[in-house]
Amino acid sequence: MRLFFLCRGKDSLSSSLGTSSTNRNFNTIWRCGILKKILAILTVAAVLCASGSAFAAAKAPAKAPAKAPAKAAAVKAPAKAPAAKAAAKAPAAKTPAKGAPIKVGYLAALTGDFAAYGKTEVNMAKMVIGDVNKAGGVLGRPIQLVIYDTKTRNEDAVNAVRRMIEQDKVCAILGANSSGINIATAPIVNRGKVPQISTVGTNPIVTVDEKGKVRPYSFRICFTDPYQGKLAADLAVKDLKKMKGAILYNVGSDYAQGLRQFFMEDYKKLGGKVVADEGFRDTDVDFRAQLTKVKSSGADILFLPGMGKDMALAIKQAKELGLSKLTIIGGDGYGEFMNEIAGKAMVGTYWINHTYLEDPGMKPVFARYKKVYKDDCKEFVNGTMAYDATKWLIDAIKRAGKDNGPAIAKALETTKGLKLTHATITISAKDHNPINKPGIILKVASDLHTKFYKKVQPK
Amino acid sequence: MDIDIIQQIINGLSLGSVYALIAVGYSLVYSILLFSNFAHGGFLVVGGYICYYFLMMHGASVWTASAAALVGAGLSAVLVERLAYKPIRERTPITLYLLIASMGMSIVIENIFVVTIGGRFRALPDVLPMQPVNVFGIATTSAFDILSLVVAIVCLVALQLFLTKTKWGLAIRAASYNLKTAGLMGVNVNRLISIVFFVAGVLAAVGGIFLSARYTLYPQLGSTITTKAFVAAVIGGLGSLPGAVIGSLILGLAEMLTAGLISSQFRDLVVFGLLIITLVIRPTGLFGKSVSEKV
Repeated sequence: MRLFFLCRGKDSLSSSLGTSSTNRNFNTIWRCGILKKILAILTVAAVLCASGSAFAAAKAPAKAPAKAPAKAAAVKAPAKAPAAKAAAKAPAAKTPAKGAPIKVGYLAALTGDFAAYGKTEVNMAKMVIGDVNKAGGVLGRPIQLVIYDTKTRNEDAVNAVRRMIEQDKVCAILGANSSGINIATAPIVNRGKVPQISTVGTNPIVTVDEKGKVRPYSFRICFTDPYQGKLAADLAVKDLKKMKGAILYNVGSDYAQGLRQFFMEDYKKLGGKVVADEGFRDTDVDFRAQLTKVKSSGADILFLPGMGKDMALAIKQAKELGLSKLTIIGGDGYGEFMNEIAGKAMVGTYWINHTYLEDPGMKPVFARYKKVYKDDCKEFVNGTMAYDATKWLIDAIKRAGKDNGPAIAKALETTKGLKLTHATITISAKDHNPINKPGIILKVASDLHTKFYKKVQPK
Repeated sequence: MDIDIIQQIINGLSLGSVYALIAVGYSLVYSILLFSNFAHGGFLVVGGYICYYFLMMHGASVWTASAAALVGAGLSAVLVERLAYKPIRERTPITLYLLIASMGMSIVIENIFVVTIGGRFRALPDVLPMQPVNVFGIATTSAFDILSLVVAIVCLVALQLFLTKTKWGLAIRAASYNLKTAGLMGVNVNRLISIVFFVAGVLAAVGGIFLSARYTLYPQLGSTITTKAFVAAVIGGLGSLPGAVIGSLILGLAEMLTAGLISSQFRDLVVFGLLIITLVIRPTGLFGKSVSEKV
């Protein structure tokens, strides 16, 4: 196929381009083919320059200027590096801490559906590390945060983690907040011997593989789904006395599948009956068909083990279909941005979560966040978990005594009674999960803010 | 169970009516220029964002914002035509190049929004009524569905009036038979094509406003919907406007009934299965004209 249709037969060319003499000379040179060859070489060179500068820009976050690979003299100006993959700058280096920086990676979704969660986490981490660096750093050295955007996609997260380990040579990775992403990156961090702490990844497989063996370099700071499912089932049966349950879940999400399974097991054990079990695919936005089936099944409670946006749409559409009497319980995929989508439909919904907005320990942290970023910490759960995960990691680096992956992993594994802001954690060496972490049940009040409903301590 | 089916049918009709708005604009462009404009979703997104901007920034009433969105989307459609399609149209009769250019433009428009405004979804403020409405006591639908159905009907009737009663409508109908001959008969072909794109943009914007009010607005909204509109237009017959409407309703019903009666995971399977069945059994669709090469 001819790549340049401009150089078709001489008739159409001269007739459509007009008949100035310069054009005709242009035509002759064009058809000779020399111009074509030169243009082809220049295009290839430009593409190489652009990719080289993009590669260099994404690789060296705050420092190295974009070095385009030098091609022959006749090279066009290198194109601008794409902004999407570029890592954010490290916090201001006006610190009394000296020495080579300790590199810590942060894996978060800065674009895509999970962007609200990821941006809050990254902001919180930057704030903590900025304060730590000002106070002298860790082991006398400043910490450098290397941030990568997962774009809410497993493929991008895996690539980002690879780059963090191989190119940036980080000694630990914080994030992501999603079980699916952490399950995907687990093999890589374990091969690369770099510990990764998930902030809100609750699926058991994040830290323990399918065969039941613990992943030596995967950790988390939150509770796991079996516990969460049990909390939801307890709330539905014991507190709210609703015995006919319906579930609407994303069949493509590890988190949703796991949480649904645990909820169903416990709900049935407590005597409840699952009358509707509806699924939807990742990109679906219309749940009216499934909600109609839920309505006709006569369910009095709907469990949503989803993430933010799809739960919000489902809640909104349920209200539109006249399902206002249906009680709705959701998991920790809750996000305050859901209020934008579902508005008043959110009032009266229950959410199983890790912490609550009025937590007295976190009040000063949120106040400081507001001062630094001139904005409320909207996703307070992610903010809290990111804050505490960063503090936990810093404590582990101090205990390890060096910024070496295996040493930090050992320190994380042997964490006992570490007092963080929202909880005190002890890590079980068997599954790298915090032991006996309480769950908080929230209820959305009429001002669309979550109010503390109940705290449940595991027995 | 019967009540269930009626509810699903109502759901399907409401979904289909929104698809119809978009498929009609799509078919309109096809009937004149004989190529599938994959950038159609881009006009939809432009309309949605303009409406969102006016609603959020200026606190304008929904009427002003919608009017601005319609005009803006129409103008953006004309701009895309002038930038991408006109140069190709003037140089070659092969419509395949127009199709490829339209795919490129759809990616360009989507990414312009991602880069400037950001890929995060935006929820439109609650300006359109959403409360549940009981239909004859047997099914519940939302006031929004009824509104979208009514608006879709009004727009399509307006389009029909435009095509049959005005001079330019007559020119468009003539051009859909044969563009070259219409040009020979004294129709200003360039202006005609601009008007067709403007109308297509306006229709897409109406659909876009409803879609973004219901499902939140994000840059990829356009490409997802364009695929569905393409399938609807093919089923109804590419190039035929009533066919596009019928095809969209069939598609909406098929989606909802599958999700309701079989399983929501078979939804896309059935939609694209319908497309393949149409192409195998009756390639011209239900009402389409038979042309040797359909691009």
